[in-house]
Amino acid sequence: MLKSKTFVKKTRAGGVMKIVREHYLRDDIWCGSEICAECKQESAVLQTDASIESDLCSYPHYVIPDTNVVLHQIDVLEDPVIRNVIILQTVLQEVRHRSAPVYKRLKDIIHEQEKHFYTFTNEHHRETFIEREPGESANDSNDRAIRVAAKWYSQHLKKAESEADGLKVVLLTNDQGNKQKAEESGLLVYRFEEYIKSLLGNPELVDRLALSNDDKHDITSSKVLFPEHLHLSRIQAGIKSGTFLQGTFRASRDNYLEATVFVQGEGEDSTEVLIQGLQNLNRAVYQDLVAVQLLPRSQWVAPSSVVLQDEGAAKDDNEEDKEEEDEEKSLRISAAAEAARKPTGQIVGIIKRNWRPFCGMLNLSQIKESTRHLFTPADRRIPRIRIETRQASTLAGQRIMVAIDGWPKHSRYPNGHFVRSLGNAGDKETEQEVLLLEHDIPHQAFSQAVLSFLPKMPWAITPEDMGRREDLRLLTVCSVDPPGCTDIDDALHCRELDNGNLEVGVHIADVSHFIRPGNAMDKEAASRGTTVYLCGKRIDMVPELLSSNLCSLRSNVERLAFSCIWEMNHKAEIIKTRFTKSVIKSKASLTYAEAQMMIDDSTKNDDITKSLRGLNKLAKVLKRKRIEKGALTLSSLEVRFHIDSETHDPIDLQTKELMETNSMVEEFMLLANISVARKIYDEFPDCAMLRKHPAPPPSNYDILLKAAKSKDVEIHTDSAKALADSLDVARVDGFPYFNTLLRILATRCMMQAVYFCSGMDSDFHHYGLASAIYTHFTSPIRRYADIIVHRLLAVAIAADSTYPDLMDKQKQSALSINLNYRHKMSQYAQRASVAFHTQLFFKSRGILNEEGFVLFVRKNAIIVLIPKFGLEGTVFFDAKDKAGPNLHFDEEGPTLKVEQHTFHIFDMVKVTISLDASNIQHQKIRMSLIEPVISGVSVPAPDVEPLAKKPKLDR
Amino acid sequence: MATVKVSEAEKVYILHGIRDDLRVDGRGCEDYRHVEIETDVVSNTDGSAKVTLGDTAVLVGIKADIGKPRPMVPNEGYLEFFVDCSANATPEFEGRGGEELGTELSNTLYKVFNNKHSVDLKSLCISAGEHCWVLYVDVLLLQCDGNLYDAISVAIKAALFNTKIPKVHISADEEGAKEIELSDDPYDCMRLDVENVPCIVTLCKVGHRHVVDVTLQEKACSVASLIISVTHTGTVTCTRKLGGGSLDPESIFEMTEAGKRVGKALHAPLMKLLRQEESLGKTRQKVGFLG
Repeated sequence: MLKSKTFVKKTRAGGVMKIVREHYLRDDIWCGSEICAECKQESAVLQTDASIESDLCSYPHYVIPDTNVVLHQIDVLEDPVIRNVIILQTVLQEVRHRSAPVYKRLKDIIHEQEKHFYTFTNEHHRETFIEREPGESANDSNDRAIRVAAKWYSQHLKKAESEADGLKVVLLTNDQGNKQKAEESGLLVYRFEEYIKSLLGNPELVDRLALSNDDKHDITSSKVLFPEHLHLSRIQAGIKSGTFLQGTFRASRDNYLEATVFVQGEGEDSTEVLIQGLQNLNRAVYQDLVAVQLLPRSQWVAPSSVVLQDEGAAKDDNEEDKEEEDEEKSLRISAAAEAARKPTGQIVGIIKRNWRPFCGMLNLSQIKESTRHLFTPADRRIPRIRIETRQASTLAGQRIMVAIDGWPKHSRYPNGHFVRSLGNAGDKETEQEVLLLEHDIPHQAFSQAVLSFLPKMPWAITPEDMGRREDLRLLTVCSVDPPGCTDIDDALHCRELDNGNLEVGVHIADVSHFIRPGNAMDKEAASRGTTVYLCGKRIDMVPELLSSNLCSLRSNVERLAFSCIWEMNHKAEIIKTRFTKSVIKSKASLTYAEAQMMIDDSTKNDDITKSLRGLNKLAKVLKRKRIEKGALTLSSLEVRFHIDSETHDPIDLQTKELMETNSMVEEFMLLANISVARKIYDEFPDCAMLRKHPAPPPSNYDILLKAAKSKDVEIHTDSAKALADSLDVARVDGFPYFNTLLRILATRCMMQAVYFCSGMDSDFHHYGLASAIYTHFTSPIRRYADIIVHRLLAVAIAADSTYPDLMDKQKQSALSINLNYRHKMSQYAQRASVAFHTQLFFKSRGILNEEGFVLFVRKNAIIVLIPKFGLEGTVFFDAKDKAGPNLHFDEEGPTLKVEQHTFHIFDMVKVTISLDASNIQHQKIRMSLIEPVISGVSVPAPDVEPLAKKPKLDR
Repeated sequence: MATVKVSEAEKVYILHGIRDDLRVDGRGCEDYRHVEIETDVVSNTDGSAKVTLGDTAVLVGIKADIGKPRPMVPNEGYLEFFVDCSANATPEFEGRGGEELGTELSNTLYKVFNNKHSVDLKSLCISAGEHCWVLYVDVLLLQCDGNLYDAISVAIKAALFNTKIPKVHISADEEGAKEIELSDDPYDCMRLDVENVPCIVTLCKVGHRHVVDVTLQEKACSVASLIISVTHTGTVTCTRKLGGGSLDPESIFEMTEAGKRVGKALHAPLMKLLRQEESLGKTRQKVGFLG
């Protein structure tokens, strides 16, 4: 029998479409009860003996819940006690429509055989099908369908009643009107609470009852979740009048409900406005240009130290509300401390979206046929994006790119569309691609236009070049670099002069000779800004012919160089400095270790060794002098992977070791940079490209001071010198690693060093190096700033001609902004690459138990550093799915009391490290506490067997 | 238009019959053939009707869509016509054979129906100058046995009567951006007032008589024909002479009078029938195309 269902739908283009669906009614849909002899079902789901002890229903019965009961009381329905339930198709569909997570749970229950839940497709059953009547709302019509089906069941079962003792059906509904109508038609009907409370012997179920009549749940999808954005004209008026502030939106990495808006003020004074809560964030996305309205001072809050991740993958919009409210509440409570409060605001409008395609992965919707899925970007600061795709099953497990299309005010997530697939997640190539894209690193092969500016091979130094350059080929120049380095941009020499003084030369590859201003190669290099080093991959700033050959100061070949030559006495005091373009022929390309061995090997006495020893001696003096002036020696753990030569998988990982020779090379590079900086600034006070490192604001040191205090160590932060000195003496007996930890913390307090144009700024100080002026001169192969400095210096010594852009401070300033950005991004990419390889490493190693130190204490977690791997990880103490342990956070310490144990900064803990691949989306290193043992929190130490079965870890 | 070849002897026979007010099939000069009407025959449309007139069969479907009002009349919706002369109707329509006729028919339909006196176009307006309903009237000729205009006009009137336009309301947010919202109740819809929708009466001058609803044979004998659209009150809204041949003013006047008479007589039973069918509601037995 054929019926048709008709409904109207709004199309995306704004039109209206009438849709007609054919609807077939059948008479071979069975009731699913064991007792029934009439229905020819193969295996009945509902039991004959369907008794549950109840005051209300003393007879065996089946239960038919209505939609709202299922939606709100799914927790109770999941209980094993509740069995023999008939889920009508009407109910199932409405549940699916209203809440995907509840639908999923309901489906799970239905599949569980023990539960004896039966789905009755009443809408296709000839006798229970109803058509919507005029004037009837969709809800009423569904209620009627439920009643009709219940009626049918009770009559159907009556026929089979002969043998059983009165099997009945009970309709459960909380809707008063529905209940009344059902009673009128002679059905057994109870309110859900009523029914559950009547169940004897299961009082605990009552506790799990959700509060009913919660109108909040009846929201339709068109509910407005966010306040309206103001119109651009009103925003502009508001900014003009000062009621709104304009700034860049910066989402927090750790807490998706928190963000700051960076408001660039006049000159130096820029402020940050804190934004907290979904409503206030009002659909702003990381990097958007937004308009903020400050809240009244009484509503200002402090940034919370909770780590919150939007894990609502499974959750539907409606469902999430409640939970988010809780989370927001927990945020607010933290706002207690008056002093810590910051200007807080709400976003009233978006001035300019700054959306780009984002890399990430698809979260498959729990409804199989659904075409709408959530996409989780790799960058945690970007919200999840809802996209529509029909190829979801193919895309699952792949890294894909998605672009945001818009964010309507009634949608929890922005809407977007699929752009392209990058490949399977976890593949090294894919991940590298993701990394580069996410950090906005230009990594395409060089274009033909760029390559056309390369010198023709074979290349040789022409007599003209020779004539203009100083011939230093006879000097014993050598280079010292890390192993495997092919882009050697610096070489050194040292020799004794007749007057007893020493001549020291730093020779830098003359890249500016090859890269002429303004051509395609120059522009490309300026845009790339820096060479990016990832684990096992290098993304060059200049084409390889230059970086690894013509500019690389390899041994025993003639190369063009830019030399900085000092005459020094043995106390490393500079007597004379000169700069010259030169031709050199390096005698040896050494690694740090080789150089170290030559210096240490007393049997060696050749020119190179002598030169190295001279350099080393001077370097020590220079370093001492520098430290006396207050230069900081900071620490950050760098890891190096041993990469398998065949599979290119990391097989071991160790922290980088520093040798004397490292610091030897470093000292001379610093010296050269400082000398060059002085020279170009003297010559071009308006347009010298310099590098500064601002002193951090005192508040940055808070965490360091607190941490040191907890170990009764005093740290002075009044000046760089004071800091350096107090760091030097900071020691705790029996805790040799303390000093390193302290230095790691100190590093985190620092500001970022930046390039700038001398004509645009007045503060030149380099805090970390304790130098009044500084620049970058020594790595022109991998940094564009150095090329500019080379050009400036060449003009200063009349070795090259100038060009207009070089002397334009605006252009220089714009360039330095790009360079700073690229530099920062390359660092992030580098870190991300290390993190990925660390994951690969732990994947191959299985579970490891390691000792580590608490580096930071957060409200619900501690951050642990494993010195052996230079690895940092978070140990969470609360979990969303279960009751967390008793946590008490003290901001003064800061300490975190978990049950009985209190964690301080620098506490030693033992953790087990494993790769959490359960979420391929974001594979992460998971750390769980082993020691100290806190019941319910820590886990027993698992076996370290790499292939051991992964124990279930609590978080 | 579809034509048939009629021999001289046959012509004389037909002419003589008509002179005596007795046509070959037994009708008088102002009688229609048997008419069958069924509405709501195509479920995908918002309104539809199938009309058979003798052996002429016409299907009309109306789709309502949201469009932008014409700039000159910002507070009115409008109708669009398309006539498809299916090759099933007559072999002459094969290929592009029906195109010319289709255009001619639809142009006439625009003239007759797309004005505010025939259909209440203002009721089709959703928000002035921004949104209005556009009714796409699709006419499909299923079989041609003469008198297409009359059959089509009756079918259109029936289909307009049957048309159910979903109710919408405009919600405006604070910024003034308007959004259209649909009611989720499929029964919540707007009906059109078809009271003033005219019907077309085609009159052919055969001999000295003016004949209504000519068959193809009679058409072959006719000198000239005139279409007159008449409302239920007998108001003539449009007249048009079709095809070759000439008419003297006197007969035009007479034809118009006859058209008024016939038209008025056509409306009353048509509306009665349509209301009757509507009142049956869901209990109505659908005949469809196979009946």
